[in-house]
Amino acid sequence: MFGTKLLLITLLSMYSLRVFPADKLTLITYSEVPFATQEGNNKKGLVIEFINALFKQTDLEYDIVFLPLKRGMSMAESDLNTCVLPIERNQHREVHYTWIGPVMISRYGLFSVDQSQPQLASLSDAKLASIGSFLGSGIGEYLTHFGYQVDLTNNDNLNVKKLQRGRIDFWAADLVSAKAIMADNDADFGEPKIIFFTSIRAMACHIDLQVETQNKLNHALLHLYKSGYMAELHQKYGLAL
Amino acid sequence: MKLPLLNVSKILLAILWALCAISAQAQIDTTSSKMSQNDGKLIAVAMNSNIPDWITQELQPSTLSLSQQQQELQWFKSQAVPFAGLTIRVVSEHIDTHVYESEVLAKAFYDLTGIHVIHELTGEDDVIKKISAQMVTGLNLYDAYINDSDLIGSHSRSGAITTISELLTFEFGQYTLPTLDLNDFIGLQFTSDPFGVIYQLPDQQFANLYWYRSDWFENSNFKSQFKLQYGYELGVPQNWQAYEDIARFFSEDINTIDGIRIYGHMDYAATDPSLGWRISDAWLSMAGVGDVGLPNGLPVDEWGIRVEHCHPAGASVARGGALNSPAAVYAIEKFVDWLKYAPDEAKSLTFSEAGKWLATGKIAQQIFWYSAFVGDLNRPNLPIMDAQGFPKWKVAPSPVGKYWKKGMKSGYQDAGSWTFLKNTPKERQIAAWLYAQFLVSKSVSLKKTLVGFTPIRLSDLESNVMSEKAPYLGGLVEFYRSNARNVWTPTGSNVPDYPNMAGFWWQYVSKIVDGTYSAKQGLDAFAKRVDEHLAQLEQTMVNAKCAPKMNPIKDEAWWLSQPGSPKPINQQVIKGQTLPYEEAIRVWN
Repeated sequence: MFGTKLLLITLLSMYSLRVFPADKLTLITYSEVPFATQEGNNKKGLVIEFINALFKQTDLEYDIVFLPLKRGMSMAESDLNTCVLPIERNQHREVHYTWIGPVMISRYGLFSVDQSQPQLASLSDAKLASIGSFLGSGIGEYLTHFGYQVDLTNNDNLNVKKLQRGRIDFWAADLVSAKAIMADNDADFGEPKIIFFTSIRAMACHIDLQVETQNKLNHALLHLYKSGYMAELHQKYGLAL
Repeated sequence: MKLPLLNVSKILLAILWALCAISAQAQIDTTSSKMSQNDGKLIAVAMNSNIPDWITQELQPSTLSLSQQQQELQWFKSQAVPFAGLTIRVVSEHIDTHVYESEVLAKAFYDLTGIHVIHELTGEDDVIKKISAQMVTGLNLYDAYINDSDLIGSHSRSGAITTISELLTFEFGQYTLPTLDLNDFIGLQFTSDPFGVIYQLPDQQFANLYWYRSDWFENSNFKSQFKLQYGYELGVPQNWQAYEDIARFFSEDINTIDGIRIYGHMDYAATDPSLGWRISDAWLSMAGVGDVGLPNGLPVDEWGIRVEHCHPAGASVARGGALNSPAAVYAIEKFVDWLKYAPDEAKSLTFSEAGKWLATGKIAQQIFWYSAFVGDLNRPNLPIMDAQGFPKWKVAPSPVGKYWKKGMKSGYQDAGSWTFLKNTPKERQIAAWLYAQFLVSKSVSLKKTLVGFTPIRLSDLESNVMSEKAPYLGGLVEFYRSNARNVWTPTGSNVPDYPNMAGFWWQYVSKIVDGTYSAKQGLDAFAKRVDEHLAQLEQTMVNAKCAPKMNPIKDEAWWLSQPGSPKPINQQVIKGQTLPYEEAIRVWN
């Protein structure tokens, strides 16, 4: 009898673990100024404002959690009802997630410490150079895939120091966050030597996200674009192309 | 920003130049290149012009004479003056042709015109996602895209495209290269809608062909052993049964050559967008799923989608489509079954990873091989090249399945083509239009063909340069010089929303490959999903030309009893049939 009760409790627990969290999404983001930052309980930035506006259009519940990008990507792949944002949507990652996007469009450039260095005509001009990026970065994966020498750090802030100390030739970074990171680190590398890549960043959710939830989020996103909200938000954070 | 208007003198100059160009064009001998050992003097003369020397040297050979080429390049230099100093952005997939454009030709264009082009390379799926993102966000992500003509059905219904027809006549055609010569493009039929409007301009083309080790097929021991076991000659397979027999022969009967394990088949089936293209790129039409008709079957195409007067009406058999028809089930079952003849790794490879296997010298044949990878297979010292630098392999017409009928398309051809979106600022769009025309101009196209083996112009294909190169390319030139280039075709206009529907292929086919579904179950679910999507588009595409109009659901037996596709089950046992190479390629003529 005891055994039967235990089994029943265990089954109910499993049921509750499996079903109830389905009503609430865990949204993982990562520190990237000015898009997402956290000081104590205060979360702010483009991503936070976007999430709040998006979910306001739906009846879905959510929690926002800050974690390192690589870990967030791994959790969104393994845990039901978990999403990570904003990450680059690309062909290599396509089959691992269900995608809601675009959340933002980013442009990437190569920054150099040497202000006198001439502009690069093409990305291939940096083929022999060492380029700094960070773990989980889509642009780091892109450059590695195409045979560039990429040096990855845990945190993009570290690339500023590495560039200043001559340990890398270029720093590959999103233009908007590069400005903020340089300001935080009291550095100024000027304009990038080339702006070489445009990426679509999106919310990547677990592959088995319910179709109904996907549809709600996609419709809400489309509404934000049509209403002009997204354009205003992008402008506010200097994302106008 | 409004485009600067030309003053009268510029117009007169342009007319004068156009007349010169027409006269020069008449003198072009398209059967031979003008480059020869004696052209040193001409190059020296050309170098006295204001075209940078390195560009003249780089763009050899060409079907144009040096003076004609200089004139054409001078036109770009002159017309680009209002745009000098501008930086524009274009994006394309990552194949050799586009690498050359991005790393060499973009620089040439910059030195020639002062227009800085960031020519970004990425995956084809990413190119499609980026076009969609520009349409959704309204942001000017890129000024032009090189995008497969498979999207013709989406582009022609989207209302978001600045057509090539419009660009040709923009501002009285002043930004259209006088020597563009549209009739010289071999792929224009793929980039036009059913009403003749040109939506895209071809930049590179490659076909999907049958690839095999001609040295092994000519080996007398293998030939006699095959005949003894299978009752017919080892040769180029004409049908899927022969392909299957040859696959079994090399994988199981021969098994090793000089102690090295070899395989009678190569393919790829990793859960990846490329698995979707493996099937959506005409595999079903090779099996014989669709109807007769070129460039695509009508009313049912190779996606199994039926159209009624250009309106997509359904993909399931119950709505008159063929995506879950017996022929489609046969096509998918063969694809999955034949993986047992390929290396174990095949199931976890993407198309680019699988491409490397042919160069190892362990594969006897591959039924589905993209000719854009010729460059990877004719490098010296590979085990598939002989001591004289000739390939030990050939390409031939792809064998077809038991539902295939004469008059149907025989395979897939990719036509990566310039695509312009309406929400691009006009000044930037015209600068990109100039760059696009530069990359496909006769000054550039033959050299580009020799780098990437993705020809777009008949004049290049018929040149002496290509005749001299033909023996090194395993039959590629013969294919492109024949009528076959019109029978191997891209996805057509039946598919109204390629960006969103292309992803369905890998999602369902991967579940068949991993055994979650049988081929029939998977295709039933897939056809249902496509029908639902088409029905949704019927609601949202209200103002679009040729929007979906769904057929009512009927008994499948009714549709299967009608002539054409969807076709009823064919239980006939087909005997393998092969031909010697010389006879096999005659079907191309």
